[in-house]
Order: sequence, then structure tokens, then C-alpha cells
Amino acid sequence: MPVDNKRVRGPEISQSPLLFLPPDSQISKVSSSSGRQGARGNGDIRPLFARCGLVSQAKGSAYLEAGNTKIICSVYGPRETERKDETDMKSGRLVCDFRLAPFSCPKRGAWIQNAEERDLSTALAESLQPGACLHRYPRAQVDVNVVVLENDGSALAHAVTCASMALADAGIEMYDTVLGCALRQDEERCLVDPDLAEERAESSAENQGRVVVALLPNLNQISGLQADGEMREDSLTAAVRTCVEGCHRLYPVVQQAILRAVKKKAAPPPEK
Amino acid sequence: MSPMKLCVPGERLCSVEDCIPGTGTYPRHGSIFASLAGYVLRRNEGEELPIISVVRETEAQLLPDVGAIVTCKVTSINPRFAKVHILYVGSTPLKDRFRGTIRKEDVRATEKDKVETYKSFRPGDIVLAKVISLGDVQSNYLLTTAENELGVVVAHSEAGVQMVPISWCEMQCPRTHNKEFRKVARVQPEYLQA
Amino acid sequence: MAAGFKTAEPLEYHRSFLKESCRPDGRDLGEFRPTTLNIGSISTADGSALVKIGNTTVVCGIKAELAMPTVDAPDKGYIVPNVDLPPLCSSRFRPGPPGEQAQAASQFLADIIDDSNIIKKEDLCIEKSKLCWVLYCDIMCLDYDGNLLDACIITLLAALKNAQLPTVTINKEKDLPEVDTQHKRHLHINKHPVSSSFAVFDDEVIIVDPTTEEESLATALITAVTDEDDQLCAFHKPGGSSLSAEKLHDCISRAVTRNREINKLIDKVTKSIKSSK
Repeated sequence: MPVDNKRVRGPEISQSPLLFLPPDSQISKVSSSSGRQGARGNGDIRPLFARCGLVSQAKGSAYLEAGNTKIICSVYGPRETERKDETDMKSGRLVCDFRLAPFSCPKRGAWIQNAEERDLSTALAESLQPGACLHRYPRAQVDVNVVVLENDGSALAHAVTCASMALADAGIEMYDTVLGCALRQDEERCLVDPDLAEERAESSAENQGRVVVALLPNLNQISGLQADGEMREDSLTAAVRTCVEGCHRLYPVVQQAILRAVKKKAAPPPEK
Repeated sequence: MSPMKLCVPGERLCSVEDCIPGTGTYPRHGSIFASLAGYVLRRNEGEELPIISVVRETEAQLLPDVGAIVTCKVTSINPRFAKVHILYVGSTPLKDRFRGTIRKEDVRATEKDKVETYKSFRPGDIVLAKVISLGDVQSNYLLTTAENELGVVVAHSEAGVQMVPISWCEMQCPRTHNKEFRKVARVQPEYLQA
Repeated sequence: MAAGFKTAEPLEYHRSFLKESCRPDGRDLGEFRPTTLNIGSISTADGSALVKIGNTTVVCGIKAELAMPTVDAPDKGYIVPNVDLPPLCSSRFRPGPPGEQAQAASQFLADIIDDSNIIKKEDLCIEKSKLCWVLYCDIMCLDYDGNLLDACIITLLAALKNAQLPTVTINKEKDLPEVDTQHKRHLHINKHPVSSSFAVFDDEVIIVDPTTEEESLATALITAVTDEDDQLCAFHKPGGSSLSAEKLHDCISRAVTRNREINKLIDKVTKSIKSSK
């Protein structure tokens, strides 16, 4: 293990107190019969709080809260590309950085970006790219930085929504806003916008899976789809359809947040 | 007056038969969609159809483009070229730093072979230039000052005082009265006030 | 042309304001930006706080873990502060390992924790030479507009005040710790250090609570940390132009007033959370 000498170091080994809970009080697993928290229906998304333009230094930014999941995103650029290769000459690049704050999960995470975060960065970039008009920014790159302050499930889906709000706030040209929605398939139950316990719950039953869909709502195109687990084909198609519906339900909140920021930034131009 | 219509990226604005797509919009499948969040503006400009565009508080993301006049600050010079940071495209400030290069042969239009970069620019000078190329894989934006209106607009003398242009190739320090060589732009009045 | 002047000649631009004893954002030379505090908003952390000083936004989350004390100090726990400046907070930071500024800030906080005894590390010991708490204080900047250190110390202090640790007993039979999350206790805050930062312009004009732009143009930066007993815990002036003793005293006395204001603010917010529960 290489020593990280750029940070203040603690003891070599430390363990989360959650490991030493008495066996009977372990965090209760979601049993498939019990209802969801806050009397939420299986198909309901958590109420969304969204704001644009909070980070003063960024070109555009957004903050999103769904239940306890809290995500902040800022967009910088278009600016000079750092790495140059032939493809950059004609169109711009979208560079995504996805991070989970060390205190965002029940167990403390490390500062160094782990494999999961790198995967999520790529997934985020791939979901956003079809939405952005990158050919308008030759030789330039647009940086999208996402930090999850608190992860209570569906982080990637909400990160996609948050990032596209930040892009719109930054005035980056886009074909469409990109919306994200996640789903947890648990046997015959479809839990839309799962919280962390639902997302991580283990089950030995069949037909288990997680699906994340990124949607361009006006063009009605899916720009990102991620599914893992073992699901039947028909459940998967149904799951994607449910996610698309979930995205559409987010749309009014997202729209409002973006427009609010536009109004705040400038009065309407004089009509000629 | 009714409040102006606002839109978010992806909203369908109208059919291509009704308007001509302007900035902040794009046509697809016979319709015009918004690509920016902002106010929807319809303008008649003598054409048959009005131009529809989406405007924001700042102008659309300007990037230095071929032919654009840019304001830059000289960062370093060597006998072959001067390196600059582009600060403005036209009158719009850039939020991020873009680097550009003014090669020796692009400093002025005449007697190109006699140009000496040291007698044309100094680090810290504010220079007006025009973009001639976006550059290739290795190089940055290529700029030129080979026009009367282009060249140094603000420069400080060795004594640290802002100098006054006295000819197209010389500036004078008001404190020490020393003359220094520069490729001077035919100065536009607003820069003198600043 | 004002915007052009600002970009092309930032120093002259600022000087023209300072001459009139005010600043580009409309503040007096000695005025702090509005400071707001939000405590306990992150439920996955054992303690958390978010501080805004003007635009500068910093969030701190504390995670407590169990570890063995060191051999040198068998009756002491650990406090591990780390400051991160992610690319999110400003275009000047790139992804990757922490840069110089983040490292310096982390070390500065670690020194303040050690020197001022915010928390007695003995309080973190559960059983001598066997088990103690580690408090990972992870501080993340979300919006960088100058005066990072002040924001970091306020958020650290507020998060520590907010932190609650579960009760831990050691099961003698199995020799394993047992954690009871039902009964949590607050930490005892021994000292309440708060810092005030200053920037020096042209070797003589001192301004309070500088923004990023002011920081980058200043000839010297100063941070004075005092506690609630008006004691000076740390004084940080990394190089820069020299300063007379009176001016330094002036800085310290301002830091003392600032400390009172901030501690009042922290108390007020903490109380409002308790009453709303």
C-alpha cells in the first residue's frame, strides 16, 4: 500500500463502529413485504429539490436533493483541452469527474478516487454526451464535476440530472436536457428511485437487478442504460419503461430550476 | 406586454416553416428546438421569415474563431514567436484561459524578414490580434498583428509606467522619456481612457 | 470599459477602490462577508456542518471509526483533518492528489487541533492501549472564493460540536468492542478557536476576509487564530511584505471580536437545531 503523504494520516487500521453492532440490531434489511420509507409507493420517485447556479466560481452549477441523496455539480469551460489528439480538432470533449465525498456513505470512503467512482464518471460522461452539442466547441473541453455529499441511493441517476442542469445553467449548447432515473427490481417488485438500503439489499431470490436510464425527454431517446443483476427479459423491458416514466415525472422540477436561474441572471432582453 | 417566453434546451420552439433557426437553436425533423436555456426571441430582419433565437445574459459561449479580433496579454517571447493569453474575443471576456501564438512572420505586413519579436512585444503588453488559424495538434491558436489596427495597445515601460504611442513602431515613457520599440496598433479611443 | 480594465489591469482596478477605502464588492476594508452556517445536514456523517462566507462554501463531515491507540500515547485518540479542494470548487484546481494549498490547509488545521486542544484527545480513548476513536474530519470546499482557512476552521468547529459518538463497551469475554448506537454522546469541546484572515495590499493597506481575486493580488496574507479566552492559538503569515507590530496587534484584536461573533453564531444555530427536534 503506497503511503499517502499529501494528506494528514490517521492510524494505519481503523474500523467502522457499524461492524461491532450487536448482531440483533444490524441495519434492518428491506424485507420484500414491508412498505417503503415514508409511505412511498413502489413507483413513486422521492420529492426532488433542485437549484441552479450556486457555485460562484463555476460557469454553471446545480444542486439536487432527492430524499437524503445530495448532489452538487459544477461545469467549467469550454476551455483549452489538456490532452490533444486528432479527434479534438473537430469537436469538443466532455470531461466528467464523479466523486463520493468520504462522509457520503455509511462507511467512510477514501479520498483517492476508487474504481467505482471511475466507472461512474465514465457512465456519466456517456449518458451526457449525446445531449451536448460538442461540435460547437472545437478544440475545447467542458468539465463536469460532480460531488455526492450524501449518498442515499440512485446517485448515478440523480448525478445525470444534476449535471445536465449545470450544463444548461452554464449555457453549453445541448440538444436536450438529460434526465436520469434508477430502479431496483426485487422479484416482482419494481422500486423506482431506490434509497441506499433498497439499492444495496441482498436477496437470494430470482429476478434481482438494478437499472439506470438516462433519457432525452423531448427527443425521446435513451442516452444511457445501465443494468446489472439477473433479470428476466420482460422485467428488464418493463423496468426501462418505468424508468422513462420516472424521468418524465422529474422534468417539470428540472425545467423550473433552470428557468428560475435564467430569470435570476438577467432581465428579459428588450423586444425589438 | 406579456412576459417573454423562456425555454430550456430541447424544447420545441416552432416548425422550420415558420422561422429561420438563429443562435441557441437547432433544426431537426422539420422543427426548431432550443439548445440553450434562455429567452425566446423572434426578430424580423427583412427576410421572408423571422429569425428565432434563444438569448441569455451572456452571449453564447464564444470561442476564438478564425477571423475574430481578440485582446490578449503577452506572456513570453523568443526570437521566433510571442506567446499570449487570449483575454477577450471581440468585446466579450473569456472566463477561461486560452493560449495563442504570434509568429515572427505574422507580426507585421511589410518587411517580414526584418521583424524582431523583442522590438515588437514585451511580456505584459496588451495586444489586439486576429485569429488566423485554430492551430494543429501541437500548436495553439495562431494569431496575427499584420494590420494597422492590430498590435500593442497598452504597454508599460521599464520604469513601470504606462507608455504613450508616438509612432507605429515606438512608444514613449512619460516619466523617463525613454523610447521603446513596439508594434503599435492604431489605437482606438476607448483604450486610451482605460 | 470597466470590465475590460478589471481583466487587463486587475491590480490597478483594485487600487482605485482601495484609495476610496472600499472594495469592488462594496465592502469596507474591515468588513467580513456575510457568514452563514448549517449544521447536521448530512445524515451519513457522525457530525457535519456547512459554512458559507460570502461565496466561499465549505462542508465538513466527521466520521468516527475505532482503532488502536499508538504506543507513545496509549490514552489518546486521533483527530485526522483533511482539506480537499476538488475541481468542482474552482477552475484553478485540477483532479488528482491534493495540491500545495490543500496540503497546507490540512496541516494548518492539524496544528490548530493539536496546539489549541479543541478536544482533549484523552476523551477519545475508550480503553487504554486497546481501543480509541479516530475522528476523520473531511473538509471539502464546494465554492472557492478566498479565505479558505477561516471557513475550514468554522466548519470544523461546528461539525465537532454537532458530532455524536455511539457508546462503546468492551465485552470482556470475547474481547471485542460492542457498539450501542441508541445511546450517543456529544464530544466535549475544550476550546473554541476561530480564525480571521487578512490580506495586505501594497505593503500597507490591510483588508479583512479577502476574496480569491484579492488574495491573488495581495502582497501578504495573514491568518490569526484566537480562542474564546482571547488567547492567540496560531498566527500564520507565510512570507510576503513586512508589517509593523501595531498592525499585527490590530489584526489580533479584530480576530478576538470575530471569534465572539462566530461562536455566538455557532451557538445560535446549534440551539435552533435542538429546539426544532
